[in-house]
Amino acid sequence: MNVPSARRRHSEGEPLAVLRALPPGSTGDLRIIRSASTTIRFANSRVRQPHLERSTQVSLRLADGRRLATATGSDASPEGLRRLVASASVLARVAPVERKFPGFRSPSGRGPSGLAFSKRTAELPPEDATELAEEILGAAAAEAPGARIAGVVHVGHESLRVVNSSGLDRSTNRSVAFANVLVERPDQDPPVSGWSEAAHWDAAKLAPAKLGCEAAERMARTPPETVPAGSYPVVLRGPAVGLLLLFLGNLGFAANGEVEGWSCLRRRRGKRVAPASVTLVDDPRSRDTLPRSIDYEGTWTRATPLITEGIARPVVTDLLTSGRLGRPLTGHALPPEAPWGDYGPMPTNMLLAPGDASEEELVRETRRGLLVTRFHYVRVVDPGRGIITGMTRDGTYAIENGAVARPARNLRFTESILTALEGVRLLAKERRIYSEGGESVTAPAAALGSFRFTSATLF
Amino acid sequence: MEDLIRVALNAASASGVRQVDARVVAPDRFVQLAVRDGAASALTDARTDAIGVRVRTNDAWGFATTSDLRPQPIREVAQLAVRLARAAGRHAQHSLRVTDESAPRGGRYATRVAKDPFSIPPESILELLTAAEKSLHVDRTVKSGIATFSAWEENKWYGSSDGASFSSRIIHVGAGVTATAVRGANVQRRSYPASHGGDFSQAGYEFVENLDLVAHASELGREAVQLLDAPACPTGTTTVVLGSEQLALQVHESVGHATELDRIFGSEAAFAGTSWVTPGMIGTLRFGSDLMNVVADATEPGGLGTFGWDDEGVPAQRTPIVREGILVGTLSSRESAAELGLAHSGGTARASGGDRAPLVRMTNINLEPGDLSLDELLEGVNEGVFLETNRSWSIDDRRLNFQFGTEVGRRIVQGELGELVRNPIYSGMAPEFWSSMDAVANASTRHLWGLPNCGKGQPGQVARVGHAAPVARFRRVAVRGG
Repeated sequence: MNVPSARRRHSEGEPLAVLRALPPGSTGDLRIIRSASTTIRFANSRVRQPHLERSTQVSLRLADGRRLATATGSDASPEGLRRLVASASVLARVAPVERKFPGFRSPSGRGPSGLAFSKRTAELPPEDATELAEEILGAAAAEAPGARIAGVVHVGHESLRVVNSSGLDRSTNRSVAFANVLVERPDQDPPVSGWSEAAHWDAAKLAPAKLGCEAAERMARTPPETVPAGSYPVVLRGPAVGLLLLFLGNLGFAANGEVEGWSCLRRRRGKRVAPASVTLVDDPRSRDTLPRSIDYEGTWTRATPLITEGIARPVVTDLLTSGRLGRPLTGHALPPEAPWGDYGPMPTNMLLAPGDASEEELVRETRRGLLVTRFHYVRVVDPGRGIITGMTRDGTYAIENGAVARPARNLRFTESILTALEGVRLLAKERRIYSEGGESVTAPAAALGSFRFTSATLF
Repeated sequence: MEDLIRVALNAASASGVRQVDARVVAPDRFVQLAVRDGAASALTDARTDAIGVRVRTNDAWGFATTSDLRPQPIREVAQLAVRLARAAGRHAQHSLRVTDESAPRGGRYATRVAKDPFSIPPESILELLTAAEKSLHVDRTVKSGIATFSAWEENKWYGSSDGASFSSRIIHVGAGVTATAVRGANVQRRSYPASHGGDFSQAGYEFVENLDLVAHASELGREAVQLLDAPACPTGTTTVVLGSEQLALQVHESVGHATELDRIFGSEAAFAGTSWVTPGMIGTLRFGSDLMNVVADATEPGGLGTFGWDDEGVPAQRTPIVREGILVGTLSSRESAAELGLAHSGGTARASGGDRAPLVRMTNINLEPGDLSLDELLEGVNEGVFLETNRSWSIDDRRLNFQFGTEVGRRIVQGELGELVRNPIYSGMAPEFWSSMDAVANASTRHLWGLPNCGKGQPGQVARVGHAAPVARFRRVAVRGG
């Protein structure tokens, strides 16, 4: 499989020519996204549902004065692009005026160079992707004979080119690899399971055998016991921390929440929301994430501080929300056609600064509490107070006297993410990238002083 | 399009695989018009094309897809699907079995619409949305209003190496409005006719007109403002009456997903999860009270889960899932049905588009109505809460421990609906909860809801499914104010 390029191919329409030919009084920006990926799912300890995908997506946002509309398609030929112009023009003519739309930006400034990218990952043959899955399966089976093993390996590539009628023409290439594995004994009463996952821009860094072993090691060997609901100190492994940070990003640092007044951090910008050990940045250029150099409006990405030594910083923005909020553009535009846009522009490449403890030390520093591997089905209960709910899953343990004492049955938490943040006590030094291909979070394990569990489940 | 399918079938069949099927979806169209706080939030017309080629060897599946509908790229992905299947089957220890089905030959299914939503001038729709959104702003505390219209058109052609073929044109539409009132950290939302974008149906634009968004909007805005000052929902164990929309989501999460056969067999274990239901329970398990009757009905007119044939060419069916509280059926595909030992698939293998492989999916999973009027149902409540319009939802990976929040609650005292309460949350274990259902209202309270955002699978698939539900009453439910 060759790496597809966002640049012009045979029979592709010239995007700049399309924008030059827009109806009088109209401007626009155009995205061409090409992707190729292989996803190998495995379940019941064998490879199943292998999926290979090649796709092209083009989207045109057209501004008739300050009336905006978007048309998307999968045909990047001249005829396909002309159809987009026609569709978007019809909608834009009747759109309400967006008074705060600042117009499409001219190219300025220098972009990043040398972003991390793996050609080998982008071109990995399907047979090699399948081998990665088999490595995980083999390692997990060796560590936990008789267990049922499931998970996924994904490798691929996405190129994005953005052009606009102010002369901007920028591209970025992104390689993506992620894998996860669940090792479980559904035949036990109650069933037990363990989990591991990792993402990287280089598939060679996934360490499939390590993932398989880690998941198997995290599976309980004795029946889990019920822990009563209540507030406990917790040690959250990386996947659990990563998911909480995603919700913090959406509820606290996405632009729509600030515009509409429901962001849980709206009244706390510039104030302390966490201990000084907590520094959170969104940095799409970092090698420790899944890098990309531009957002979907073609703005250069850059590091955006979100929490600096415990102090909350402003939200991230795109063209429209920077206009509405009167704040600098941070380069966090999503595709303009993205539906269900409650959050608007949001952090996409968060990195939580590591601490200096090992995961064992986090447990040792917790007198009585719970060790949580990951969360499942987390949803927002109350956005204004940052309250979310979800279940623990795949490796929950009781901690007593600074040691993992015994497996615990899974619990439901209902907690404010702000309370969790205030309660960060220690952060691990090792961190990992967590992603399923879209946004990523790079996070260490963390020890929190208190976390509220509201009910237990039967396993 | 039939020619393109033939290209795919020939290219894969030449490699000696056991079975091939191909689906072209072109165009797969989605139009969304949304007005947010007086401005256009999203005016989008998306048209994508894709072909998906699925092959089956003796041991494994392979699926490959492209958005380039020229013959050569189609041949390439067909061959890549074969390579994937061969690689997947390298170490297989069991052969892959599927049920035998009578194949459709040239079947055609199309949504009947009175007014094609794609022929309605967008300015007419925007006029409606703008008026509705404006009416939400009854007070300065309403910080945000949104009015949304969505329409999907899926044009599909299916063919397989065993001679099956059909085509379809399915249209889904929907609309809704939401007001968000904010005071400090107190955020209250009210939505009509449902949260998560509104209500949706397999219908024409007449469905949107009949929602009468403008007429409902100002009352909705007032209710959002009232909720800011409403008392928190009381905490305790009490009687809960669920409105039709919230009950539909309860069915979705705790019955629909729990009875997907691929989850039961562990195929979704790592991502969506499994189920507390095991194959041996089918036919004997008490899932709920005697009043609980659930069907999977892909034939009900207007449902988002209604079609002619599923994405394996199996005809749409109406299958009992729970009868008088006993689990009697599941949702199945050809592979999962064969694994269970069934003679035929339940016809619920669906893909979200031409670029995705079919998975076991919900169709229209409906809770059958009972025979009480709403007044009669409420008369049986001395003290309790009436909960409606979903706000949050979460359930464990075996579909047991759930917690739902609704936008609004109303106290019930001596059978009468009383004051509003805010941030209600109820929780429980699925089988205990369904066993506590002691009254189901009659068909006058039943509504077939459209749910356009059911996620499953890797790569991700978002399915549109339907749920008909009446109003129902549950005893001894844990409730609290969030």
